[in-house]
Amino acid sequence: MNISAVQPEGSQTGSPPSRPVYDGRLAELYGIYLRHLLLMLVTFGWSRFWGRTRLRRYLWSHVSVLGDRFEYRGRGLELFVGFVMVLLILAAWAGALWLAWTFWLSARLPAGMGLIGLVGLSIAVIGFPLSFVGQYAALRYKLSRTRWRGVRGAMAGSAWRYGALATLLTAANGATAQLLTPLMSVTLARPRISNAAIGTQRFAFAGNAGDIYGRYIAYYLLNILVTVGLVIAVFMAVGVAFVGHDLKEFQEYAATPPPLLIAAGLAAAYILFGLVILPLRCWWQAYLLRYLIARTRAGDVLFATSLTTRDMWGFLVLNYLIVLLSFGLGWPWVMHRTLRLIAGRLWIYGAPAPGSIAQPADRGPNYGEGLLDMFDVSGV
Amino acid sequence: MQPAPARYYDGVTADALDVSAKWGVGELLIYRPGDFSIVARWRLEELAVLGDTEHEAIPSVVKQGSDARLVIVSPELRAELGRNAYLGDLVVPPPKPAPRIARLAGALVMVVALFWGAIEIGSDHAGLLVPYRLQAKLGREAQAQLTAGRTVCTGAEGLAAIDGLANRLARAGGLGHPVVVTIVKGGPVNAFTLPGDRLVFYSDLIDRASDGEEVAGVLAHEIGHAVKGHPLHGMIRQYGIELLLRLMTGGYSEMGSLGSGGSLLLALRNGRAFEREADATGIALLEGRGLRADGMSRFFEKMMKQEPTGKIPLANIWSDHPPTAERIAATKRPATGRPAFTDQEWKALRSVCDESASKQ
Repeated sequence: MNISAVQPEGSQTGSPPSRPVYDGRLAELYGIYLRHLLLMLVTFGWSRFWGRTRLRRYLWSHVSVLGDRFEYRGRGLELFVGFVMVLLILAAWAGALWLAWTFWLSARLPAGMGLIGLVGLSIAVIGFPLSFVGQYAALRYKLSRTRWRGVRGAMAGSAWRYGALATLLTAANGATAQLLTPLMSVTLARPRISNAAIGTQRFAFAGNAGDIYGRYIAYYLLNILVTVGLVIAVFMAVGVAFVGHDLKEFQEYAATPPPLLIAAGLAAAYILFGLVILPLRCWWQAYLLRYLIARTRAGDVLFATSLTTRDMWGFLVLNYLIVLLSFGLGWPWVMHRTLRLIAGRLWIYGAPAPGSIAQPADRGPNYGEGLLDMFDVSGV
Repeated sequence: MQPAPARYYDGVTADALDVSAKWGVGELLIYRPGDFSIVARWRLEELAVLGDTEHEAIPSVVKQGSDARLVIVSPELRAELGRNAYLGDLVVPPPKPAPRIARLAGALVMVVALFWGAIEIGSDHAGLLVPYRLQAKLGREAQAQLTAGRTVCTGAEGLAAIDGLANRLARAGGLGHPVVVTIVKGGPVNAFTLPGDRLVFYSDLIDRASDGEEVAGVLAHEIGHAVKGHPLHGMIRQYGIELLLRLMTGGYSEMGSLGSGGSLLLALRNGRAFEREADATGIALLEGRGLRADGMSRFFEKMMKQEPTGKIPLANIWSDHPPTAERIAATKRPATGRPAFTDQEWKALRSVCDESASKQ
């Protein structure tokens, strides 16, 4: 079924479909971002909580749905407190390890494993599941600080349960050569979507991994096919390149290449490989996102997206290249492009009935995003 | 005054009303434009503006203590309300982007330059502020990692020979602490200087050397690093560069790999300057004690002969040591002076790893 072009089932035919509107200006966004960078340098990074908050306020308030703008009412101080709390917890953890090290562990660990290495390793190990907990908790914080028509967003459910589920599924997916990807995507999307709400209106998710397995298997097999083809092509290219050359010299050099040249070679192989595999990945990701959005509703309001593989290429690949090649200065452009993409490709069918959405009683967490800040990406 | 359109949210439900708003005596009247029925009356002292015009498309007017909001779409009404209700934040014009970007970009360039200067100058002196005990601890930990799982050579006479020369050169160079030399069995053909004046030599380097002068040349080079405080200097500098790149990229961890790559390149440039300085210092220390200083360039020559030919020397731009030909030219010295090791010492050093009593 082509889910990109269909009208959602059961959508209200009374009101025409609408799209979100984004009316931010790139130059204004850059003004805010450059000030953020300047303050980051002057404060050695401690201003990032306030900078991120200002960027969110700008972005949120320039997006409107059904004619009404979003508001972001989070505060930098709340993010700062969240970060300090996680920092204190980690310090307590490091202290406990120091005690264990002093009285018991130092003689039992392999040579070369110092206390610093042990703390780093333990934090890396617990950081993996905690990053999932952090993602969910951060979503709860952001939603609780988001308002639409004066009503707060909200997020139910346990971040710890989500973290455990995500860790388990990620490990299982890795152990099964990524064959559980559709199951993982749908299972993890369900709590993120169905626990989210605007006011008292919960979102609902009716996805099923079985719906998308066929497409995923096709994607999986195509990946294998392309990889095999690429490996054969690389071997043939190397063979052709060395016809008539001194193989001994090549072997001599290959025995002791400079480490950075090895890294550059690997990076080149990674990029080449990525350029061939990435279109396939974009094709799958666009399909997955269309599916997840089409299976989401909020009361009588339904959603759909016409996101194409090309759009996903722009989102995943071009945005990454913009950030990378601009040494991070392209971030505002990436945010701007992303919001324009959402505004251009998301369709909303219907509107909430009058009086159907009330202000939620819950005001959300008092602080936010500490775990995410510590263990995971810190995008706006 | 003409009523102007605005959106009103009561804060109780997500219903939005198209309203008009009018400033009365000490209060704001919010009413439906069709039948003029009053929706809300907010007193002057209850009003507040959420946000500002720099970050919000239209800052909301709110009644304090409630979730109700009024979004005034008409700029004229916003201006009038701002004046009458003393809500200046409502009408402050947003900053003009172009001059703002120019100002901020200029300031950013200046701060980056200052930061860079602080790293360049600060790393020269910051090492002095790090207590020697901490340097020694860092050195011990780094050495434990380098030697983990490797055999450490324990030939007492050979170790005494290299240790003795290292400490004589270090004292001549004004180093206030004793130097400890550790020899690890096997390769690579290399040696390292760690913080806390610890030197790690690999026995393959000693095996590859033709005589004691070549080992003494490499040793003097490493003592040059220690005397100039390069190990700690390099660590501080690399940390500073990484911090700068992390901050410059907005603190986003996605940029971590880019930051590491960039700081690696910068640290390599730094490494080359250190190598040149260590060469010059090492030669000066040997000559200052009347010892033969021809071993360093001879060892470099030997290493260059083993480098692959053709286009490959270009790859030296990626190396943390300067191009070998350049180093040979800079360190070339005649074979004059006393030998650095006696024949007996050199023999002992050659067999420092032979006692396989060497501990793991």
